[in-house]
Amino acid sequence: MNKLNKNIVAVLFTPLFLLLIVYPLVALLVRLEWDGVANTFADTFFWLSVRNTLCAALLAALLSLVLAVGFGYCYLFLKHTAIYKVANLMNDLPIALPHTVAGLTLLLAFGRKTCGFLGETGLAFTLLAVVLAMFFVSYPLAARTVASGMDKMETEIIDVARTLGDTPFKAYFRVVVPTLGEALFSGFVLAFSRSLSEFAAVVMFGGNLPGSTQVLASYVFTKVEEGELEMAVTASCFCVLLSLLIVATLSLRRRVWHAER
Amino acid sequence: MLNVEKVEKSFLPRRVLREVSLSVDSEIRVIIGLNGGGKSTLLKIIAGIWPADSGKVFIDGKNVTGLSPEDREIGYVPQHPALFRHLSVKENICYALKNGRGAVEEGDRLIALLGLRDILDKKPDVLSGGYQSRVSLARALASRPKVMLFDEPLSDLDLAIKEKLLPEFKRVLKAQGMPVLYVTHDPREAGLVGDSFSALVQGEISEINSAEEAFDLIKADYDSA
Repeated sequence: MNKLNKNIVAVLFTPLFLLLIVYPLVALLVRLEWDGVANTFADTFFWLSVRNTLCAALLAALLSLVLAVGFGYCYLFLKHTAIYKVANLMNDLPIALPHTVAGLTLLLAFGRKTCGFLGETGLAFTLLAVVLAMFFVSYPLAARTVASGMDKMETEIIDVARTLGDTPFKAYFRVVVPTLGEALFSGFVLAFSRSLSEFAAVVMFGGNLPGSTQVLASYVFTKVEEGELEMAVTASCFCVLLSLLIVATLSLRRRVWHAER
Repeated sequence: MLNVEKVEKSFLPRRVLREVSLSVDSEIRVIIGLNGGGKSTLLKIIAGIWPADSGKVFIDGKNVTGLSPEDREIGYVPQHPALFRHLSVKENICYALKNGRGAVEEGDRLIALLGLRDILDKKPDVLSGGYQSRVSLARALASRPKVMLFDEPLSDLDLAIKEKLLPEFKRVLKAQGMPVLYVTHDPREAGLVGDSFSALVQGEISEINSAEEAFDLIKADYDSA
Protein backbone atom coordinates (compact mmCIF):
# COMPACT_ATOMS: atom_id res chain seq x y z
CA MET A 1 0.00 0.00 0.00
CA ASN A 2 2.81 2.31 1.01
CA LYS A 3 4.68 1.53 -2.17
CA LEU A 4 1.55 2.23 -4.20
CA ASN A 5 1.08 5.59 -2.45
CA LYS A 6 4.71 6.50 -3.15
CA ASN A 7 4.24 5.60 -6.80
CA ILE A 8 1.07 7.69 -7.12
CA VAL A 9 2.86 10.71 -5.64
CA ALA A 10 5.82 10.19 -7.96
CA VAL A 11 3.57 9.72 -10.98
CA LEU A 12 1.62 12.91 -10.22
CA PHE A 13 4.47 15.06 -8.98
CA THR A 14 7.28 14.30 -11.41
CA PRO A 15 5.62 15.24 -14.71
CA LEU A 16 4.00 18.37 -13.24
CA PHE A 17 7.29 19.47 -11.69
CA LEU A 18 9.16 18.85 -14.93
CA LEU A 19 6.53 20.58 -17.05
CA LEU A 20 5.85 23.62 -14.89
CA ILE A 21 9.19 24.35 -13.22
CA VAL A 22 12.05 22.70 -15.09
CA TYR A 23 10.76 23.05 -18.65
CA PRO A 24 10.29 26.88 -18.58
CA LEU A 25 13.85 27.28 -17.27
CA VAL A 26 15.19 24.96 -19.95
CA ALA A 27 13.17 26.86 -22.58
CA LEU A 28 14.92 30.03 -21.46
CA LEU A 29 18.42 28.53 -21.34
CA VAL A 30 18.22 26.94 -24.82
CA ARG A 31 17.37 30.33 -26.33
CA LEU A 32 20.67 31.76 -25.12
CA GLU A 33 22.73 32.95 -28.13
CA TRP A 34 26.31 34.18 -28.26
CA ASP A 35 25.27 37.32 -30.19
CA GLY A 36 22.78 38.13 -27.47
CA VAL A 37 25.40 37.57 -24.76
CA ALA A 38 27.90 39.80 -26.56
CA ASN A 39 25.36 42.58 -27.19
CA THR A 40 24.05 42.50 -23.64
CA PHE A 41 27.48 42.46 -22.00
CA ALA A 42 28.49 45.39 -24.22
CA ASP A 43 25.41 47.37 -23.16
CA THR A 44 26.29 49.88 -20.42
CA PHE A 45 22.66 50.04 -19.31
CA PHE A 46 22.73 46.29 -18.58
CA TRP A 47 25.67 46.68 -16.19
CA LEU A 48 24.08 49.76 -14.65
CA SER A 49 20.89 47.77 -14.06
CA VAL A 50 22.98 45.00 -12.45
CA ARG A 51 24.63 47.59 -10.20
CA ASN A 52 21.28 49.18 -9.33
CA THR A 53 19.72 45.78 -8.59
CA LEU A 54 22.53 44.59 -6.33
CA CYS A 55 22.96 47.91 -4.47
CA ALA A 56 19.23 48.50 -3.97
CA ALA A 57 18.55 44.87 -2.98
CA LEU A 58 21.43 44.94 -0.50
CA LEU A 59 20.19 48.15 1.10
CA ALA A 60 16.59 46.91 1.13
CA ALA A 61 17.65 43.62 2.74
CA LEU A 62 19.71 45.44 5.39
CA LEU A 63 16.82 47.78 6.15
CA SER A 64 14.47 44.77 6.31
CA LEU A 65 16.80 43.07 8.77
CA VAL A 66 17.00 46.15 11.00
CA LEU A 67 13.22 46.43 11.10
CA ALA A 68 12.82 42.67 11.56
CA VAL A 69 15.09 42.89 14.63
CA GLY A 70 12.82 45.68 15.89
CA PHE A 71 9.76 43.55 15.20
CA GLY A 72 11.42 40.68 17.09
CA TYR A 73 11.63 42.87 20.19
CA CYS A 74 7.88 43.60 19.97
CA TYR A 75 7.25 39.88 19.36
CA LEU A 76 9.01 38.96 22.60
CA PHE A 77 8.31 41.83 24.97
CA LEU A 78 5.38 43.87 23.63
CA LYS A 79 3.00 41.15 22.48
CA HIS A 80 -0.03 42.72 24.18
CA THR A 81 0.50 46.19 22.72
CA ALA A 82 -1.32 47.74 19.78
CA ILE A 83 1.95 48.36 17.91
CA TYR A 84 2.76 44.64 17.94
CA LYS A 85 -0.74 43.67 16.80
CA VAL A 86 -0.65 46.16 13.92
CA ALA A 87 2.92 45.17 12.96
CA ASN A 88 1.99 41.50 13.02
CA LEU A 89 -1.01 42.11 10.76
CA MET A 90 1.09 44.25 8.40
CA ASN A 91 3.61 41.42 8.08
CA ASP A 92 1.09 39.49 6.06
CA LEU A 93 -0.35 42.39 4.11
CA PRO A 94 2.47 43.07 1.61
CA ILE A 95 2.54 39.36 0.75
CA ALA A 96 -1.15 39.32 -0.19
CA LEU A 97 -1.17 42.79 -1.77
CA PRO A 98 -0.68 43.05 -5.57
CA HIS A 99 2.73 44.62 -5.98
CA THR A 100 1.37 47.25 -8.35
CA VAL A 101 -0.81 48.38 -5.45
CA ALA A 102 2.24 48.40 -3.18
CA GLY A 103 4.03 50.60 -5.71
CA LEU A 104 1.05 52.94 -5.96
CA THR A 105 0.77 53.30 -2.17
CA LEU A 106 4.46 54.23 -2.00
CA LEU A 107 4.03 56.66 -4.88
CA LEU A 108 1.14 58.36 -3.10
CA ALA A 109 2.94 58.38 0.25
CA PHE A 110 6.34 59.64 -0.91
CA GLY A 111 5.62 61.13 -4.33
CA ARG A 112 5.47 64.69 -5.64
CA LYS A 113 2.36 65.76 -3.69
CA THR A 114 3.55 64.71 -0.24
CA CYS A 115 7.34 64.95 -0.57
CA GLY A 116 7.62 67.60 -3.29
CA PHE A 117 9.98 69.61 -1.07
CA LEU A 118 12.60 66.86 -1.57
CA GLY A 119 12.69 67.34 -5.35
CA GLU A 120 10.55 67.64 -8.45
CA THR A 121 9.10 64.13 -8.04
CA GLY A 122 9.48 63.75 -4.29
CA LEU A 123 11.22 60.46 -3.55
CA ALA A 124 9.62 58.80 -6.57
CA PHE A 125 11.74 57.76 -9.58
CA THR A 126 15.00 57.80 -7.63
CA LEU A 127 17.25 54.93 -6.56
CA LEU A 128 16.00 55.47 -3.01
CA ALA A 129 12.47 54.79 -4.29
CA VAL A 130 13.75 51.50 -5.76
CA VAL A 131 15.22 50.60 -2.35
CA LEU A 132 11.96 51.47 -0.56
CA ALA A 133 9.85 49.50 -3.04
CA MET A 134 12.10 46.45 -2.62
CA PHE A 135 12.03 46.89 1.15
CA PHE A 136 8.22 47.12 1.24
CA VAL A 137 7.81 43.69 -0.34
CA SER A 138 10.77 41.94 1.31
CA TYR A 139 10.52 43.08 4.93
CA PRO A 140 7.67 40.66 5.83
CA LEU A 141 9.86 37.71 4.87
CA ALA A 142 12.69 38.90 7.12
CA ALA A 143 10.30 39.62 10.02
CA ARG A 144 8.63 36.23 9.74
CA THR A 145 11.98 34.44 9.61
CA VAL A 146 13.25 36.25 12.70
CA ALA A 147 9.99 35.50 14.57
CA SER A 148 10.16 31.82 13.64
CA GLY A 149 13.80 31.75 14.86
CA MET A 150 12.55 33.11 18.20
CA ASP A 151 9.92 30.39 18.42
CA LYS A 152 12.70 27.80 18.27
CA MET A 153 14.81 29.66 20.84
CA GLU A 154 15.01 28.64 24.51
CA THR A 155 13.12 31.56 26.09
CA GLU A 156 14.58 30.77 29.53
CA ILE A 157 17.76 32.56 28.45
CA ILE A 158 15.78 35.81 28.63
CA ASP A 159 14.51 35.03 32.14
CA VAL A 160 18.05 34.26 33.29
CA ALA A 161 19.52 37.38 31.68
CA ARG A 162 16.85 39.49 33.42
CA THR A 163 17.64 38.00 36.84
CA LEU A 164 21.31 38.76 36.12
CA GLY A 165 20.43 42.45 35.86
CA ASP A 166 19.50 42.96 32.19
CA THR A 167 16.57 45.17 31.23
CA PRO A 168 14.42 43.68 28.42
CA PHE A 169 16.29 45.92 25.93
CA LYS A 170 19.72 44.77 27.16
CA ALA A 171 18.68 41.10 27.28
CA TYR A 172 17.41 41.36 23.72
CA PHE A 173 20.63 42.74 22.28
CA ARG A 174 23.09 40.89 24.56
CA VAL A 175 21.46 37.48 24.50
CA VAL A 176 18.59 37.08 22.01
CA VAL A 177 20.00 38.72 18.87
CA PRO A 178 23.40 36.95 19.06
CA THR A 179 21.60 33.64 19.52
CA LEU A 180 19.55 34.21 16.36
CA GLY A 181 22.48 34.10 13.93
CA GLU A 182 20.95 31.51 11.61
CA ALA A 183 17.49 33.17 11.53
CA LEU A 184 19.03 36.59 10.90
CA PHE A 185 21.15 35.26 8.06
CA SER A 186 18.17 33.43 6.49
CA GLY A 187 16.01 36.54 6.90
CA PHE A 188 18.64 38.66 5.19
CA VAL A 189 19.13 36.25 2.28
CA LEU A 190 15.37 35.82 1.76
CA ALA A 191 14.82 39.59 1.82
CA PHE A 192 17.75 40.06 -0.58
CA SER A 193 16.44 37.44 -3.02
CA ARG A 194 12.90 38.82 -2.86
CA SER A 195 14.28 42.31 -3.54
CA LEU A 196 16.27 41.08 -6.55
CA SER A 197 13.15 39.67 -8.15
CA GLU A 198 10.81 42.62 -7.52
CA PHE A 199 9.42 44.29 -10.63
CA ALA A 200 5.93 45.81 -10.27
CA ALA A 201 6.44 47.88 -7.11
CA VAL A 202 9.85 49.04 -8.35
CA VAL A 203 8.52 50.18 -11.72
CA MET A 204 5.48 51.92 -10.18
CA PHE A 205 7.45 53.87 -7.58
CA GLY A 206 11.05 53.88 -8.84
CA GLY A 207 10.30 53.97 -12.54
CA ASN A 208 12.28 52.30 -15.29
CA LEU A 209 14.85 54.91 -16.27
CA PRO A 210 17.82 53.22 -18.02
CA GLY A 211 21.05 53.88 -16.15
CA SER A 212 19.22 55.57 -13.31
CA THR A 213 16.47 53.47 -11.69
CA GLN A 214 16.35 50.53 -14.07
CA VAL A 215 16.91 47.17 -12.39
CA LEU A 216 17.50 43.74 -13.94
CA ALA A 217 13.81 42.81 -13.87
CA SER A 218 12.78 46.02 -15.64
CA TYR A 219 15.74 45.73 -18.07
CA VAL A 220 14.37 42.34 -19.19
CA PHE A 221 10.90 43.87 -19.58
CA THR A 222 12.28 46.79 -21.64
CA LYS A 223 14.26 44.49 -23.93
CA VAL A 224 11.19 42.32 -24.58
CA GLU A 225 9.17 45.47 -25.38
CA GLU A 226 11.90 46.68 -27.75
CA GLY A 227 11.94 43.30 -29.51
CA GLU A 228 15.54 42.56 -28.41
CA LEU A 229 14.59 39.06 -27.27
CA GLU A 230 18.14 37.65 -27.32
CA MET A 231 19.27 40.41 -24.93
CA ALA A 232 16.25 39.79 -22.69
CA VAL A 233 17.14 36.08 -22.64
CA THR A 234 20.76 36.84 -21.68
CA ALA A 235 19.69 39.16 -18.86
CA SER A 236 17.17 36.56 -17.69
CA CYS A 237 19.81 33.81 -17.64
CA PHE A 238 22.00 36.17 -15.62
CA CYS A 239 19.10 36.51 -13.13
CA VAL A 240 18.70 32.73 -12.93
CA LEU A 241 22.43 32.37 -12.25
CA LEU A 242 22.27 35.02 -9.54
CA SER A 243 19.29 33.32 -7.90
CA LEU A 244 21.00 29.93 -7.96
CA LEU A 245 24.06 31.50 -6.37
CA ILE A 246 21.92 32.88 -3.52
CA VAL A 247 20.11 29.60 -2.96
CA ALA A 248 23.44 27.74 -2.94
CA THR A 249 24.93 30.22 -0.44
CA LEU A 250 21.94 29.82 1.86
CA SER A 251 22.07 26.05 1.69
CA LEU A 252 25.86 25.96 2.23
CA ARG A 253 25.68 28.29 5.22
CA ARG A 254 22.90 26.20 6.78
CA ARG A 255 25.00 23.07 6.40
CA VAL A 256 27.96 24.77 8.08
CA TRP A 257 25.66 25.91 10.92
CA HIS A 258 24.31 22.41 11.45
CA ALA A 259 27.80 20.90 11.27
CA GLU A 260 28.99 23.34 13.96
CA ARG A 261 26.24 22.18 16.34
CA MET B 1 15.35 35.99 54.16
CA LEU B 2 12.61 35.26 51.61
CA ASN B 3 8.96 35.74 52.52
CA VAL B 4 6.04 34.92 50.28
CA GLU B 5 2.64 36.10 51.49
CA LYS B 6 -0.67 34.75 50.20
CA VAL B 7 0.37 34.52 46.55
CA GLU B 8 -2.42 33.59 44.16
CA LYS B 9 -2.20 32.76 40.47
CA SER B 10 -4.76 31.46 38.02
CA PHE B 11 -4.46 30.42 34.42
CA LEU B 12 -8.18 30.43 33.79
CA PRO B 13 -10.09 28.33 34.48
CA ARG B 14 -7.44 26.71 36.73
CA ARG B 15 -6.24 28.14 40.04
CA VAL B 16 -2.58 27.19 40.07
CA LEU B 17 -1.55 28.78 43.38
CA ARG B 18 -3.95 29.30 46.31
CA GLU B 19 -2.81 31.72 48.99
CA VAL B 20 0.72 30.33 49.02
CA SER B 21 2.78 31.64 51.94
CA LEU B 22 6.23 30.56 52.99
CA SER B 23 9.39 31.83 54.70
CA VAL B 24 12.88 30.70 53.84
CA ASP B 25 15.83 31.67 56.02
CA SER B 26 19.46 30.66 55.39
CA GLU B 27 18.51 27.14 54.41
CA ILE B 28 17.71 25.02 51.38
CA ARG B 29 13.94 24.64 51.25
CA VAL B 30 12.71 22.08 48.75
CA ILE B 31 9.19 22.28 47.35
CA ILE B 32 8.00 18.95 46.04
CA GLY B 33 5.03 18.65 43.73
CA LEU B 34 3.75 16.97 40.61
CA ASN B 35 4.74 18.23 37.18
CA GLY B 36 2.37 21.01 36.19
CA GLY B 37 1.45 21.58 39.83
CA GLY B 38 2.51 25.25 39.98
CA LYS B 39 6.08 24.93 41.31
CA SER B 40 7.68 26.73 38.36
CA THR B 41 4.90 29.34 38.43
CA LEU B 42 5.71 30.11 42.06
CA LEU B 43 9.42 30.53 41.27
CA LYS B 44 8.69 32.77 38.27
CA ILE B 45 6.47 34.95 40.47
CA ILE B 46 9.19 35.21 43.13
CA ALA B 47 11.76 36.06 40.42
CA GLY B 48 9.43 38.72 38.96
CA ILE B 49 9.20 36.99 35.57
CA TRP B 50 5.43 36.57 35.92
CA PRO B 51 3.11 38.76 37.99
CA ALA B 52 0.98 37.24 40.74
CA ASP B 53 -2.78 37.84 40.72
CA SER B 54 -2.46 38.84 44.37
CA GLY B 55 -0.06 38.43 47.29
CA LYS B 56 3.36 39.82 48.13
CA VAL B 57 7.02 38.84 47.94
CA PHE B 58 9.60 40.18 50.42
CA ILE B 59 13.38 39.80 50.19
CA ASP B 60 15.32 40.74 53.32
CA GLY B 61 12.22 42.55 54.54
CA LYS B 62 11.85 44.67 51.38
CA ASN B 63 8.64 44.39 49.41
CA VAL B 64 9.75 43.48 45.87
CA THR B 65 6.30 42.58 44.52
CA GLY B 66 6.17 45.37 41.96
CA LEU B 67 9.85 45.17 40.94
CA SER B 68 11.21 43.79 37.67
CA PRO B 69 13.45 40.69 37.73
CA GLU B 70 16.56 42.85 37.19
CA ASP B 71 15.82 44.80 40.38
CA ARG B 72 15.18 41.85 42.71
CA GLU B 73 18.78 40.54 43.14
CA ILE B 74 17.70 36.96 42.67
CA GLY B 75 19.71 34.05 41.31
CA TYR B 76 17.64 31.84 39.02
CA VAL B 77 18.65 28.43 37.71
CA PRO B 78 15.95 27.14 35.32
CA GLN B 79 15.03 23.63 34.27
CA HIS B 80 17.42 23.62 31.33
CA PRO B 81 20.81 25.25 31.98
CA ALA B 82 19.86 28.09 29.55
CA LEU B 83 23.49 29.02 28.99
CA PHE B 84 24.26 31.80 26.52
CA ARG B 85 25.52 29.77 23.57
CA HIS B 86 27.43 32.61 21.91
CA LEU B 87 29.52 33.24 25.04
CA SER B 88 32.33 31.18 26.58
CA VAL B 89 31.97 29.56 30.00
CA LYS B 90 33.97 32.39 31.59
CA GLU B 91 31.80 35.04 29.89
CA ASN B 92 28.66 33.22 31.03
CA ILE B 93 29.84 33.17 34.63
CA CYS B 94 30.89 36.83 34.58
CA TYR B 95 27.75 37.95 32.70
CA ALA B 96 26.27 39.96 35.59
CA LEU B 97 29.49 41.96 36.06
CA LYS B 98 28.52 44.24 33.15
CA ASN B 99 25.37 45.10 35.10
CA GLY B 100 27.41 46.00 38.17
CA ARG B 101 26.53 42.75 39.96
CA GLY B 102 28.98 40.47 41.77
CA ALA B 103 32.76 40.69 41.61
CA VAL B 104 35.58 39.08 39.61
CA GLU B 105 36.92 37.41 42.80
CA GLU B 106 33.51 35.85 43.44
CA GLY B 107 33.52 34.38 39.92
CA ASP B 108 37.07 33.03 40.40
CA ARG B 109 36.13 31.49 43.74
CA LEU B 110 33.13 29.71 42.20
CA ILE B 111 35.18 28.54 39.22
CA ALA B 112 37.62 26.90 41.64
CA LEU B 113 34.86 25.57 43.90
CA LEU B 114 32.97 23.92 41.03
CA GLY B 115 36.05 22.68 39.14
CA LEU B 116 35.47 24.76 36.01
CA ARG B 117 39.01 26.07 35.45
CA ASP B 118 39.82 23.76 32.50
CA ILE B 119 36.71 24.62 30.47
CA LEU B 120 36.63 28.41 30.84
CA ASP B 121 37.30 29.13 27.15
CA LYS B 122 34.86 26.53 25.84
CA LYS B 123 31.43 27.27 24.41
CA PRO B 124 28.46 25.72 26.29
CA ASP B 125 27.40 23.50 23.38
CA VAL B 126 30.49 21.30 23.74
CA LEU B 127 29.99 20.70 27.47
CA SER B 128 28.37 17.65 29.08
CA GLY B 129 25.03 18.10 30.87
CA GLY B 130 26.75 17.96 34.27
CA TYR B 131 29.19 20.74 33.40
CA GLN B 132 26.40 22.85 31.88
CA SER B 133 24.50 22.61 35.19
CA ARG B 134 27.63 23.60 37.14
CA VAL B 135 28.17 26.64 34.89
CA SER B 136 24.51 27.61 35.27
CA LEU B 137 24.88 27.47 39.07
CA ALA B 138 28.16 29.42 39.02
CA ARG B 139 26.64 32.10 36.76
CA ALA B 140 23.69 32.64 39.11
CA LEU B 141 25.85 32.68 42.26
CA ALA B 142 28.50 34.97 40.75
CA SER B 143 25.93 37.79 40.65
CA ARG B 144 25.85 37.66 44.48
CA PRO B 145 22.08 37.28 44.75
CA LYS B 146 20.17 37.62 47.99
CA VAL B 147 18.02 34.56 47.22
CA MET B 148 18.60 31.53 44.98
CA LEU B 149 15.80 29.83 43.04
CA PHE B 150 16.21 26.41 41.41
CA ASP B 151 13.58 25.11 39.00
CA GLU B 152 14.35 21.38 38.68
CA PRO B 153 17.84 22.26 37.48
CA LEU B 154 19.01 18.67 37.03
CA SER B 155 15.91 17.19 35.40
CA ASP B 156 17.78 16.64 32.11
CA LEU B 157 20.50 14.55 33.76
CA ASP B 158 20.87 10.84 34.46
CA LEU B 159 20.33 9.63 38.02
CA ALA B 160 24.03 8.75 38.48
CA ILE B 161 25.15 12.26 37.52
CA LYS B 162 22.41 13.79 39.69
CA GLU B 163 23.60 11.85 42.72
CA LYS B 164 27.14 13.08 42.14
CA LEU B 165 26.14 16.70 41.54
CA LEU B 166 23.53 17.23 44.27
CA PRO B 167 25.90 16.94 47.28
CA GLU B 168 28.29 19.26 45.39
CA PHE B 169 25.48 21.78 44.82
CA LYS B 170 24.48 21.52 48.49
CA ARG B 171 28.07 22.12 49.66
CA VAL B 172 28.41 25.22 47.44
CA LEU B 173 24.99 26.60 48.45
CA LYS B 174 25.58 26.04 52.17
CA ALA B 175 28.85 27.95 51.84
CA GLN B 176 26.88 30.97 50.55
CA GLY B 177 24.55 30.99 53.58
CA MET B 178 21.56 32.42 51.73
CA PRO B 179 17.89 31.43 51.38
CA VAL B 180 17.52 28.81 48.66
CA LEU B 181 14.24 27.61 47.18
CA TYR B 182 14.60 24.41 45.18
CA VAL B 183 11.64 22.83 43.41
CA THR B 184 11.47 19.28 42.14
CA HIS B 185 8.99 16.48 41.51
CA ASP B 186 11.52 13.89 42.68
CA PRO B 187 11.45 13.16 46.47
CA ARG B 188 14.82 11.37 46.23
CA GLU B 189 16.47 14.46 44.71
CA ALA B 190 14.76 16.56 47.37
CA GLY B 191 16.19 14.37 50.14
CA LEU B 192 19.72 14.74 48.77
CA VAL B 193 19.73 18.53 48.58
CA GLY B 194 17.18 19.89 51.08
CA ASP B 195 17.34 21.07 54.68
CA SER B 196 13.57 21.54 54.97
CA PHE B 197 10.65 20.48 52.83
CA SER B 198 7.24 21.63 51.63
CA ALA B 199 4.71 19.97 49.38
CA LEU B 200 2.70 21.82 46.76
CA VAL B 201 -0.53 19.94 46.19
CA GLN B 202 -3.62 21.34 44.43
CA GLY B 203 -2.03 24.80 44.51
CA GLU B 204 -1.70 24.76 48.30
CA ILE B 205 1.56 24.57 50.15
CA SER B 206 2.08 22.55 53.30
CA GLU B 207 5.16 22.14 55.49
CA ILE B 208 6.35 18.58 55.91
CA ASN B 209 9.15 16.88 57.84
CA SER B 210 10.72 14.78 55.11
CA ALA B 211 10.79 14.28 51.37
CA GLU B 212 9.09 10.90 51.80
CA GLU B 213 6.13 12.58 53.46
CA ALA B 214 5.66 14.67 50.30
CA PHE B 215 5.58 11.51 48.26
CA ASP B 216 2.70 10.18 50.43
CA LEU B 217 0.77 13.46 50.10
CA ILE B 218 1.22 13.62 46.34
CA LYS B 219 0.33 9.95 45.94
CA ALA B 220 -2.86 10.40 47.98
CA ASP B 221 -3.79 13.42 45.84
CA TYR B 222 -3.06 11.52 42.64
CA ASP B 223 -5.12 8.51 43.80
CA SER B 224 -8.09 10.71 44.72
CA ALA B 225 -8.03 12.55 41.37
